[in-house]
Amino acid sequence: MTMFHFFNCAILTFGPHAVYYSATPLSEYDTLGTSVKAALVYLGTALVKLVCLATFLNVSESDSFDPYQELLKALIGFIDVAGLYFALTQLTHRNISQNHKFQAVGLGWAFADSVLHRLAPLWVGARGLEFTWDYILQGLEANANLVLSISLAALGSLMWLRKNKPRTLIPIIYACAGIVSTMPSITSYLKRGLGWHFAEVVGFELFVSLVMAFFSWQLFSTCQKPSA
Amino acid sequence: MATQRKEVLVDSVYSVIALLCILVACAELCGASAVVDVYRLIQYDLAGVPFGSRLASLNHHAGSSFFAPGADLSRTVVMLPVRELNVTFIREYIGQRKPLGGLLFLLPRMFSSEYKDSAGGGDDKPGKELLRNILVELERLLIHANIRYPVYFAFEDDKIDAVLADVKRNDATGQPATATTGGYKLVVTAPEPRKLAPPTITNIQGWLPGLKADGDSNQLPTIAIVASYDTFGAAPAISVGSDSNGSGVVALVEIARLFSLLYTNPKTRGRYNLLFGLTSGGPYNYNGTHKWLRSFDQRLRESIDYAICLNSIGSVDNELWLHVSKPPENAYIKQIFEGFHNVAEEVDLKVGLKHKKINISNPRVAWEHEQFSRLRVTAATLSELPLAPELLESTGGLFDNRHFVSEAAIFRSIKLVAESLARHIYGQQGKNINIFADDSNLGVNPAYVQSWLDLLSRTPRVAPFLSKNDPLIMAMKKELEDHTVEVNVQHEVLDGMFTFYDLTSAKLYIYQVASVTFDLLLLLVLGSYLIILFSFLVVTTRGLDDLISLFRRPPSRKVKTA
Repeated sequence: MTMFHFFNCAILTFGPHAVYYSATPLSEYDTLGTSVKAALVYLGTALVKLVCLATFLNVSESDSFDPYQELLKALIGFIDVAGLYFALTQLTHRNISQNHKFQAVGLGWAFADSVLHRLAPLWVGARGLEFTWDYILQGLEANANLVLSISLAALGSLMWLRKNKPRTLIPIIYACAGIVSTMPSITSYLKRGLGWHFAEVVGFELFVSLVMAFFSWQLFSTCQKPSA
Repeated sequence: MATQRKEVLVDSVYSVIALLCILVACAELCGASAVVDVYRLIQYDLAGVPFGSRLASLNHHAGSSFFAPGADLSRTVVMLPVRELNVTFIREYIGQRKPLGGLLFLLPRMFSSEYKDSAGGGDDKPGKELLRNILVELERLLIHANIRYPVYFAFEDDKIDAVLADVKRNDATGQPATATTGGYKLVVTAPEPRKLAPPTITNIQGWLPGLKADGDSNQLPTIAIVASYDTFGAAPAISVGSDSNGSGVVALVEIARLFSLLYTNPKTRGRYNLLFGLTSGGPYNYNGTHKWLRSFDQRLRESIDYAICLNSIGSVDNELWLHVSKPPENAYIKQIFEGFHNVAEEVDLKVGLKHKKINISNPRVAWEHEQFSRLRVTAATLSELPLAPELLESTGGLFDNRHFVSEAAIFRSIKLVAESLARHIYGQQGKNINIFADDSNLGVNPAYVQSWLDLLSRTPRVAPFLSKNDPLIMAMKKELEDHTVEVNVQHEVLDGMFTFYDLTSAKLYIYQVASVTFDLLLLLVLGSYLIILFSFLVVTTRGLDDLISLFRRPPSRKVKTA
């Protein structure tokens, strides 16, 4: 039964990535290589982030939400954006369309994140006899994260790869990208600053991810129009 | 307190762990809702016939006594708080040997040795008496039955009470265990219980030699004071036996201390040798006493004037009995009884005389003095028990803990024995003198008695599980060495038909589990979620026609989009 539960949670955590890959045209253009490269970039970014966190962050005396520390953490969080920038612009991909490139990068990014952050706790925890909702919620969080990563990649590709975008939209794009990339800090604030429960945080993340996905989709399609 | 930093680190550390996936593959953490110490019902063979609980490992769902009648409980661990125990239920299940997954008895919080609040008896006496009767009955049922499933005892605490309340609620509504209603699984991982080697029993003796007039000290008559210290109970790991026979041991140690004060001064050294004996094997027909007496040479045995055995003298009743096996008309018996009787009146105690003949052909030895009597040594047992206990009864059972003994009763008993002995030794019978007056330096020392009583009340002393060099045995030996001379420790092998099995305590893991139905349902929901997601993505990125065409064409062919 416990293996069963682990299996369920794994489906919830990693299933959407596979579904996304097979259901969208990504699978037809064989963009797996791009995703793998993006995942490797994520790995490198995670290492750099780890080193930065360990170097710059103090051991805080209290359990409360410390704005200065959180600001530092948010800044370190922007290393992610740099990693994504590198993955989108510097990597020599096969000649695939921008449209598919950002999806492949976002997907690889989200998948690597899920594997690194969720596989180990899942393997250790969900196989145990004890039942908690945590692993199901964690799976849902992985879904939200997938949506956010793809949105961020979409916004990133708008920022860095598309040259002829409407001027009026640029601040909106940057604002959206800012919101999406500070999501980890926002959730950490909700968790520790406001004392939200994990379920509420996950609900919020799902909601925000859907909203952001909608925005970035709209932005992307409006930017697409002049060229199309 | 550095959880914030810790969380950051944990977050990062998880990444590292994932990199070292091989390590993780072998990791098995237990995220149990609660872990509690549990104590297993004793398992033993008596002449090859199995008794007690025959299994140790447990892995079943928890249930309470509120199940539907006729329900199949062969895969359920029934949790029963002894405070509200239904003895007929137990009688029915154990008597008729109905199958159960296991039994978990919850002993009241105050039985735990960690429970400190109100020590000593007096409060809520009827409730205590009721509890005691239930436990005695329960214990008698359990240790004389052959039970094919694991039986454990645990002390109630907040965690286990919460679990029990949940289980009861579910059983009352008749719902099966699900994730939301909280089914619990009780798990004890233990190997198969193994037979123990024949246990060693340890007797400790010490002498206070009397003042030699002229010639050999062995010519002096000897008075022996004896108490058996080991216990036997349904749960060996918590069988502390504060009354049976912790009270006797405490009294013996204190009497040894008092007389050592008198015997160190040549002016007050009596013309009797005093022999103190702490014997083991008490629950098994006083086997240790038997071995101990056999080890004496004939001359020594004959020099024993009489022996006083102390057994269960710490309960609140104001009545003690002097059990003898020689007829009361016997001059020695009369003398001993008179001595006790006179002192008893002064300390507000009643002492009665009970005579029980020995049947040599019967292997059962109900009182310690009977071992002396069988070797023709005059002896008597001082006890609060009016009747001879059966085998394995009144030997430190479940209820027999610190809360059921009264210090006042022990003080009184000590005074009674010490005073009457002293009057006999110094030839002051019938005179109203008070040698061990309360406020003198010869008075009973309450702190000393209390500390020994506390020590004995938290040390389980079931002989097969006590090693030769157990700290308690060492402590008793040292105590006798402090007050007496020629302290001698004798190790013997317990004979008799008892074979014991190990595993007396374990850790019980309580997991809150979801039912398989819940996981099936979850799988269904997840499957449909993924299918809907798939369809949604196909429709939005490739169009509805593609989705339909996916189902029309064989999946091996590639779908081409315009």
